[in-house]
Amino acid sequence: MPEDVQMSEQQAAPPAAATAAAPAPSTLHHLKEIASVIEAGSLTKEVRRISRAVRLTVALRRRLGHRDVSAFLAFALPASTEAYARLTSLLPKEDDTEMDLDATAQATQISIKHGLPEIEIYCYLLVLIFLIDQKKYDEAKACATTSIARLKNMNRRTVDVLASRLYFYYSYVHELTNSLAEIRGNLLALHRMATLHRDELGQETLLNLLLRNYLHYNLYDQAEKLRSKAPRFEAHSNQQFCRYLFYLGKIRTIQLEYTDAKESLLQAARKAPTAARGFRIQCNKWAIIVRLLLGEIPERTVFMQKGMKKALTPYFELTNAVRIGDLELFRTVADKFASTFSADRTRNLIVRLRHNVIRTGLRNISISYSRISLADIAKKLRLDSQNPVADAECIVSKAIRDGAIDATIDHANGWMVSKETGDVYSTNEPQVAFNSRIAFCLNMHNEAVKAMRFPPNSHKEKESAEKRRERLQQEEELAKHMAEEDDDDF
Amino acid sequence: MDPKLTEVTQLFARFKAAYSRNDLDVCANLLSQLKVLLTKFPSLPPSFQQTPNAVEELKLARDIYEHAVVLSVKMEDQDAFERDFCQLKPYYMDTCGIIPPSPEEYPILGLNLLRLLVQNRIAEFHTELELLPAKALDNLCIKHAVELEQSFMEGAYNRVLSARQAVPHETYVYFMDLLAKTVRDEIAGCSEKGYDYLSISDAKEMFMFSSDQELQQYITEEHPEWDVKNGSVFFQKAKESQPCKEIPAAPVINQTLGYARELERIV
Repeated sequence: MPEDVQMSEQQAAPPAAATAAAPAPSTLHHLKEIASVIEAGSLTKEVRRISRAVRLTVALRRRLGHRDVSAFLAFALPASTEAYARLTSLLPKEDDTEMDLDATAQATQISIKHGLPEIEIYCYLLVLIFLIDQKKYDEAKACATTSIARLKNMNRRTVDVLASRLYFYYSYVHELTNSLAEIRGNLLALHRMATLHRDELGQETLLNLLLRNYLHYNLYDQAEKLRSKAPRFEAHSNQQFCRYLFYLGKIRTIQLEYTDAKESLLQAARKAPTAARGFRIQCNKWAIIVRLLLGEIPERTVFMQKGMKKALTPYFELTNAVRIGDLELFRTVADKFASTFSADRTRNLIVRLRHNVIRTGLRNISISYSRISLADIAKKLRLDSQNPVADAECIVSKAIRDGAIDATIDHANGWMVSKETGDVYSTNEPQVAFNSRIAFCLNMHNEAVKAMRFPPNSHKEKESAEKRRERLQQEEELAKHMAEEDDDDF
Repeated sequence: MDPKLTEVTQLFARFKAAYSRNDLDVCANLLSQLKVLLTKFPSLPPSFQQTPNAVEELKLARDIYEHAVVLSVKMEDQDAFERDFCQLKPYYMDTCGIIPPSPEEYPILGLNLLRLLVQNRIAEFHTELELLPAKALDNLCIKHAVELEQSFMEGAYNRVLSARQAVPHETYVYFMDLLAKTVRDEIAGCSEKGYDYLSISDAKEMFMFSSDQELQQYITEEHPEWDVKNGSVFFQKAKESQPCKEIPAAPVINQTLGYARELERIV
C-alpha cells in the first residue's frame, strides 16, 4: 500500500513576503531562507518556526535540483565537518557546467551561523528527501542510517520536529526497498529514546512507524501489544493521528471488534486532509467492509466520493451482493475481484462476510413469508452441502438466537414461522436513538471548542491599562490580607 | 561434531524411542531435559547467532518442539500445547532462508487454529490466520480449520460435527472431540431461543446423545430451567419485549435537563 504513505503535508503558506517582489527567486534562495528560519528557531528555542521550515521544504520538494542541494550544503555546512563530507559523497555526481547566476547574486544577502545541530540535521533531511525523489534508494538508506546514528547523540527539543521527519523517511526508504523488518529493532530503540526525552512528536511518529512495520508483515498481535502499552497523549500532528487511527482500525477489524474499528476508520477518513486521496481510499475500503460485517449497508454516496469511484467499484459490487443476500452473486464478485482484494489484504475479511450474506438473505425471507419450509429456505439461500435442510435449520436457529430474525422453528413440520413485527414507535427505541444523536452532536460541539487554539494571554491584552492597575491593586490587597491572616494564626 | 549437539541428538533419539512406545511419562521427563539443553545453543531464537552449527541446531530444535507440541496433544494438556507452540512459532516465522520449511509446519499451525477455535478465542484465530500466506490456505490442514470456523460462525453446526470424520491428521481428533462439546452448548443455546418445544427423540438426535438418560442428565446439569413433560422438552421462553405503556418519566427528565445544561454552555 504505498499510496497512503505520502499523506501530503498541508500546503505551506507562500514564502516570506520579502521575496515576493523579486522575480521568481531561485530554489537555492528559498533553501537559504529556510535555513535562516531554522536558525531563528534554534536561537529563540521556538519549535513552531522549525515546523514551518519543514513545511516550506515540502513545498519546495518538486523543484529541488541536484545543483541546489549541493550548493546549499556548501553554504550551510562548514567544508571541514564530517557531515559535509559524508553528505556530498552521497549525492550523485553530475557535472556542474552551468553556473547558477542567481545564487551568486543573492548569496550575499543571507548568512547563517555555522555549527548549529538543527542545520546539520536539516541538511540530512534535505539530502534524504532529494535522494528518495531521485529514486537513489541505496544512497538514501545510507544517508538515513547515518542521520539516525547522529540523532541518537542529540537531545535538543528544537531538533525533535526535524527528527520525526527523518524517522519517517528512514522507514519509508526501507519500505520502498522492502527491508522493513531490519529496522524494527532500531525503531523500537528510537521510540524508547523519544519516550525518555519526552519527545511526544517523536513518540507519535515512531509508534505509527512501528505499527506500520508490524502490519506490513501482518503481525497484528505484536502491533496490538505495542499499541496498548505505548504511552498515549493528545495528538500533536493531525497526520500522525490519522495514521494512528487507521492502524488502530485495522487491528480492531482483524480482532473482530467491529464497532470500535468502524469508529476509528471513519474518523481517520474524515480527519485526513483532502489531498491524501490514497490514504482516504484505504480508510474507506476498510470502513466499508467493517460496516458490512456489522450488518450495516453503507450509503451509495460513500462510493461516489470524488476521485474514489473507480477504486471503490469492487467494494460497491460486494456491498450490493451483501445487500441482496445472494450467495451466488457474492461468490462471483469475490472471484471477479480476487486480485484486488488480495492486494488490499482484505481477502480474509471478505471470507468472513459470507455469513452476513446468509443473514441478510434470511432476514429478507423472514420478512416476506409468515411461514416457510426449511427446504425452501435452503433452496433460496442456495446452500450447497450434503444436507441443506439440516444446515438451514441450524443457521435459522442461530440467527434467532443472535436476534437477527424474530421467528420460531417448528421441528416436527420443518417450518420456520415468523413472528409479527411490532410497531417500533410503541417502544422506547426511537427516544433512545434520538437521545444518542443529540449526545453525539453536543459532544462534537464540546470537542470542537476544546480543539480550538487560543494564543496565550490574548484575553489579557484587551484589558485597558486602567483596569489592569485596578486588578493589580486588588490582588495586592488580597495578598496583604492573607498575609495578615497568616500572622493572626500565630 | 560439537559435543553439545551430539548430546542433544542422543537424548532426542531416546525421546523418540519412548515416543514411539507411547511411554508418555518418560517422554515428558526427557523433554524437559532437552529443553534445558536447548537453552545452551546460541544460534536459536531470540539471539540467532551465526554459528557454524546454526542450521543443524535450528533444525534439531524445531524438530524437538514439534514433537513437544504433538506430545502435549497426546497428554491432552492445552496449556503445555500453548507454551510449546509459542516456542515453536519463531522457527516457522523467522528462520526462513536459514533452514528449509518443515513438512510438519501446516499440520501444526492448523492444529493451533483448531485449539483457538475450541477455546473460543476467535480474535486470536483471525490474527493467526492473517500471518499465513495465501497459498497456505489451500493446505488441507489449514483449510479444515478455516472451514470449521466458517461453519461455526454461520451456525451450520451439523457440518462441524461431520467434519470430525474427515480429520486430516490423527492428532486433530482430540480437539475435534472438545469442539463437539462446545458445539453442543451452542446448539442448546440456539434451540432454547429457536424452538418452543422439541420431542425427546429429536432433542436427543440434535444434541448428539445416544440415550435418553444422557439427555436427562445434561438437562439437569446445564439447563435446569427446561421442562421435560409429555415426551417433549419445553424451553422457557425469554420474556417478550412488551410495548411500553407508560413514559419513563425520570430518565426523560434527566436527559432533558442535560440538554438544557449543554445548550446553556453553547449560548
